[in-house]
Amino acid sequence: MTLPRSFTRLAAGMCCAAALAFGASTVAMTAGKAQLKSAGPLAFGPDGILFVGDSVGAAIVALDVNDHTAAKSGGTVEIKGINEKIAAMLGTAADQITIQDVVVNPISKNVYLSVSRGRGPDAVPVILRVDSAAKISEVSLDNIRHSSVGLPDPPTIASDNPRAQQQRMEVITSVKYVDGKVFVAGLSNEEFSSSLRSIPFPFTEASKAAGIEIWHGSHGRFETNAPVRTFVPYEIDHKASILAAYTCTPLVKIPVSELKPGSKVKGTTIAELGAGNRPLDMIVYDKGGKHFILMANSARGVMKLSADNLDTFQPITKQTEPAGVPYETIADLKGVQQLDKFDDGSALVLMNSGSSLDLRTVPLP
Amino acid sequence: MLRNRDCWRLTGLFSLALFLAPIALAQTPVIVMESGAFRVTGWRAAAPPLNGWSTVLSVYAGEGDVPPVLGSYSVVDGCLVFAPRFPIAPGMHVRAVFQAPNGVPVEAAFDLPKQETPAPATRVAHVYPSTGILPENQLKFYLYFSAPMQKGQAWQRIHLLDADGNRVALPFLELDEELWDRDNTRLTVLFDPGRIKRGLVPLKEDGPSIVAGKHYTLVIDRDWPDSRGAALVEEFRKEFRVGPADRTPPNPAKWHVLTPHPDTTEALVLDFAKPMDYALLQHLLEVTGPGGRIAGTVAVVKDETEWRFTPQQPWKIGDYQLVIQTALEDLAGNHVGRAFDVDVFDHVTQKISKETTSLPFRIRRQ
Repeated sequence: MTLPRSFTRLAAGMCCAAALAFGASTVAMTAGKAQLKSAGPLAFGPDGILFVGDSVGAAIVALDVNDHTAAKSGGTVEIKGINEKIAAMLGTAADQITIQDVVVNPISKNVYLSVSRGRGPDAVPVILRVDSAAKISEVSLDNIRHSSVGLPDPPTIASDNPRAQQQRMEVITSVKYVDGKVFVAGLSNEEFSSSLRSIPFPFTEASKAAGIEIWHGSHGRFETNAPVRTFVPYEIDHKASILAAYTCTPLVKIPVSELKPGSKVKGTTIAELGAGNRPLDMIVYDKGGKHFILMANSARGVMKLSADNLDTFQPITKQTEPAGVPYETIADLKGVQQLDKFDDGSALVLMNSGSSLDLRTVPLP
Repeated sequence: MLRNRDCWRLTGLFSLALFLAPIALAQTPVIVMESGAFRVTGWRAAAPPLNGWSTVLSVYAGEGDVPPVLGSYSVVDGCLVFAPRFPIAPGMHVRAVFQAPNGVPVEAAFDLPKQETPAPATRVAHVYPSTGILPENQLKFYLYFSAPMQKGQAWQRIHLLDADGNRVALPFLELDEELWDRDNTRLTVLFDPGRIKRGLVPLKEDGPSIVAGKHYTLVIDRDWPDSRGAALVEEFRKEFRVGPADRTPPNPAKWHVLTPHPDTTEALVLDFAKPMDYALLQHLLEVTGPGGRIAGTVAVVKDETEWRFTPQQPWKIGDYQLVIQTALEDLAGNHVGRAFDVDVFDHVTQKISKETTSLPFRIRRQ
């Protein structure tokens, strides 16, 4: 067993084919103004590089946030009403901002948030940093080392209707970095298909390479083709995998080694989490020599699943009841919207508190 | 309203007062707000303090214990000016606090005028599918609005009622991201796929969102604000009844092609025999001829069962192809050549792996 490696937030989606895009020609990071049309999912990569999913701009933007100083362990974060505080900083009311994502810089333990100011098509993206003194500041994009990569277009045919083409877009729902690659999951606002991509970092020019399809035979006898919405990478016994949670509730394990263009990959369903529920966020962690997954859900609270035996689940090839990884519900954690690993002993959560949102660290259960 | 030169004058007076210390006229700095920025008059701004201008001037928006508004400082004609990073929103209460080194704090409050709620002007322009009969495994709705809308309220504003007027619980996939287009005029609403796909726990526990043989009404609240903050002109309702689930992939071989006459710009008419996905029909079909792609316009009619292509130039006699992206879906999300969920026991997993397929047709004298 080895330690889980990259931890971030969960993945939730639907059910499952995906495209990998590989390219060539490295794009160097340059200093200057970083262009963001929107700021959605975040992920930290090596050396404090922050990846930002820009759905409107159809791009992943890498920012060197120049935040490399290692933090002392044992820190905590607690900011009550962070949405109200951020709105005040942006000169508007709390109902006019949206906190899109929250991640922890694993080096400094500073917290980064992607925020939209405004709710219309003219909403402005803002990246904020919360330091160990709970001070909130803006990460200026005016002069920052950065690079970006455009996401390949979905399959389409040349059209005389540019407006129809313009309406089609992919909402990036999850970004993760693992082993030199940025993994990106998204949902199309038109076709019901997947768009999981792996982009080498430093970035290359994204190409419209042949995709691969990730299927999971999780529904008893039924295979489906649907998008991976979000996921978390982990590593056990030197085997890197992706654990994806779909909005139709299955939790699916996909070996990274099998994510090769042109291949058909069979994921393994390891749990179904019940009706009326949407997985929101997920982290992988280690405690007392055992490995766990902590998952925030829309209706079923925060679940703790054992990750120790994930590698023993085999792909379902015949009609059976869904396999089930044992889990418990953490009663203390209610209303969790965002989740990230803070340090070895605690998680960072963004959680509902009455009409506002609190950002705080909580002990890993 | 003070103008820039006033700062100099007041500053000059202030300097004179210092010089005539025994009879000094106390000059109290004043904070004014003009053109969205905050300016301190009556105090000469020189070199910035060690810890920055924010140690002498901060602006707070809203109530309670909040951090200062983000923004930048500058010195204009000797006056310290704070320009917020974003315009302060209408209706906000703002406090500006100034304290010179060793000085007494000066505070000014500003209540920005509230923006009058604009008159409702935005409507639900159309909801696709247009048909009043949907399969039990219907996958999505497209809601088209006549103007941009606000994000973040979709799941409070969209309801599905059964025949008795009771709300159906959680029929849709309530994605926080909300699947809008770039200008917020079209929202894609997915039915909960967990209640569509066979073999899943949600389908077993809750059943399908809509049940064959029953009647429903999709309701879009009038109170849904558009991007200007105005409500919709009126509530929108779409009534429909539900037919059996459709698990048959669209099969181009069974589509009927009505070919136009040569030397005309008559429409090429494609009859699908069942409704197809409106949005995908806009750009997943094209016509090619001997000289390559044919330019023209597309119309989708008859409840999305018919696709009409009108060329820019008259048809010429010859052989043509209708090229179809296999990503094209019907109402239940069945792709060309592949069902939405495939029953592997029925050995129907053979899917069309290529991205396109085509239908040949010929333009000839009749």
